[in-house]
Amino acid sequence: MIRFDDVTKVYKGGSPALKNITLEIQKGEFVFLVGSSGSGKTTFLKLILREEKPDQGAIYVAGRDIGVLSAWKVPHLRRNLGCVFQDFRLLPNKTVAENVAFALEVIGRPRQVITTQVAQVLDLVGLGQKASRMPDELSGGEQQRVAIARAFVNRPLVLLADEPTGNLDPATSQGIMSLLDRINRTGTTVLMATHDVGIVDSMRRRVIELDRGTLVRDQARGVYGLTDEMHSSTSGLPAVPLSPAFAELLDKDNRRSGKADLDKQKLPLSDDVPVSDAGKGNSRVSSVRARRGSRY
Amino acid sequence: MGLSVEYVAKETATNLWRNRLMALAAILTVAVSLSLVGTALLLRQAVNRQIGAVASNVNLQIFVNPGAPKSQLAYIRQEIKATPQIESCNYLNSTESYNQAKQLLKGQKTVLSVLSPGTVPTDFRCQLHNPNQAATVGALFSAGIPGVYKVTWPGQSIHVMEQVTSVLQLILLIVAIALLVSSLVLILNAIRMAIFSRRREVSVMKLVGATNWFIRIPFMAEGLVQGFLGSLVAVGIVMLSNWGLSYLSDRVQALSQATVPSGDLLVTEILVVLVGLIVGVVGSSVAVRKFLDV
Repeated sequence: MIRFDDVTKVYKGGSPALKNITLEIQKGEFVFLVGSSGSGKTTFLKLILREEKPDQGAIYVAGRDIGVLSAWKVPHLRRNLGCVFQDFRLLPNKTVAENVAFALEVIGRPRQVITTQVAQVLDLVGLGQKASRMPDELSGGEQQRVAIARAFVNRPLVLLADEPTGNLDPATSQGIMSLLDRINRTGTTVLMATHDVGIVDSMRRRVIELDRGTLVRDQARGVYGLTDEMHSSTSGLPAVPLSPAFAELLDKDNRRSGKADLDKQKLPLSDDVPVSDAGKGNSRVSSVRARRGSRY
Repeated sequence: MGLSVEYVAKETATNLWRNRLMALAAILTVAVSLSLVGTALLLRQAVNRQIGAVASNVNLQIFVNPGAPKSQLAYIRQEIKATPQIESCNYLNSTESYNQAKQLLKGQKTVLSVLSPGTVPTDFRCQLHNPNQAATVGALFSAGIPGVYKVTWPGQSIHVMEQVTSVLQLILLIVAIALLVSSLVLILNAIRMAIFSRRREVSVMKLVGATNWFIRIPFMAEGLVQGFLGSLVAVGIVMLSNWGLSYLSDRVQALSQATVPSGDLLVTEILVVLVGLIVGVVGSSVAVRKFLDV
């Protein structure tokens, strides 16, 4: 469905955002794209949307080389790609139903088709009762459901999600994830960039990890990082090499939770790590553990 | 593509209403500049007609000093007869000249009070075989024939008239072009604001795969409507100035022929509307190309 063939992308005057990425995502797969901020996840998604063009290599979506696609065909590519973002991107002056309908209106679908399809997709995301509400009357989770409905209403081949749970609490995130999982079961390929360790670890889907633009891990049924392999015995998955940046993050976590002694081979601890940062990482990991405990 | 007229009309109307102040500024500037363009065109047509009328009437006018002795008058008559280019002449004596002057200067009481039959120059009105020879014949008579006060031929007055109106027209046109450019810029800016205020919609539209034209056309229609509305106002103002012109030509003898037939007026108005539409489309196209990144 999506194939990257030795893709390199360099933004003007910077180091490469993506370096020699080669991978393939099959139709119907559910793939997590993980990596720290600036690792190239968003660039990866932008390349698929043809918001950016690769400097080297080729990208195929549904068998077509989108790098050579002429500009006027790009809209037709995007009709096959649904998109969901961390900040929802709903239109505040339109109702829920209008927001979803807008996606069909602007690609010139007939009114009757719009009415039935919008009703269907709102039922799918569980917002059939709130069709005439305004976005600001909804909770964050509900707004993200509307955004997913909008992305999915045209039945795209691929659903791209850029940190869809980034603004949501863990419980709400779970709801969003089960919705994405349902959508994936209809045959739609889902590619989700995320920082959410808990979600990645609990879903056990294919994980692609980027670090500073390079592909460092591509693992079927993977987890976010190695945290759990090292510190818990719940997983029987083989250990995979750790990215330096993630090892650093892990060190911070370990230090704060008093487990730094477990990995002596890691990078030296840095003392200038902002406490808030480290604290965030720590609490995220522990909240994950709590949830995992209840799940497995 | 499924870009329905209804959709464009709805989008354009809401856009215009949202940015109504900017739209109003753009429409008014278009209106003012197009009124000037239209008025300049009208003026030119009126002057051309007046000049045509004057030129076909009298070819040469020889004014004789008021109270010139009979002998001088007779000499002038003799000279006229001796000039082969002159076909015929008609002499207006002092009373007739005075009456004519009274008619010409109707309404100007102070000037009239100074005039009397004895102080108005009498004149010969001559037809030439060939009106183009007026200058040569005129030079012949103005050079040293006793009693001749002045010789005029329409060529002179037409020349003056043409010069005055062409300067006037030039000024009007320069001002109008400057205003047209500024109205173009105003429309461009109005569309730019519209694009900015709808950037969320535009980004969603791009995301879900709306075609470029689908996104662009409502904005271009907005510019078109602004240009059109401005030109409609200008059409009204040009009608008013045409009415003023015919009012003047009814009352001022020198402009008696300076009217514009309704056919020409219609052509002028159509031109005004066309220019308005062009300004609107060009302004909005530039804005869409520069600021709508699709």
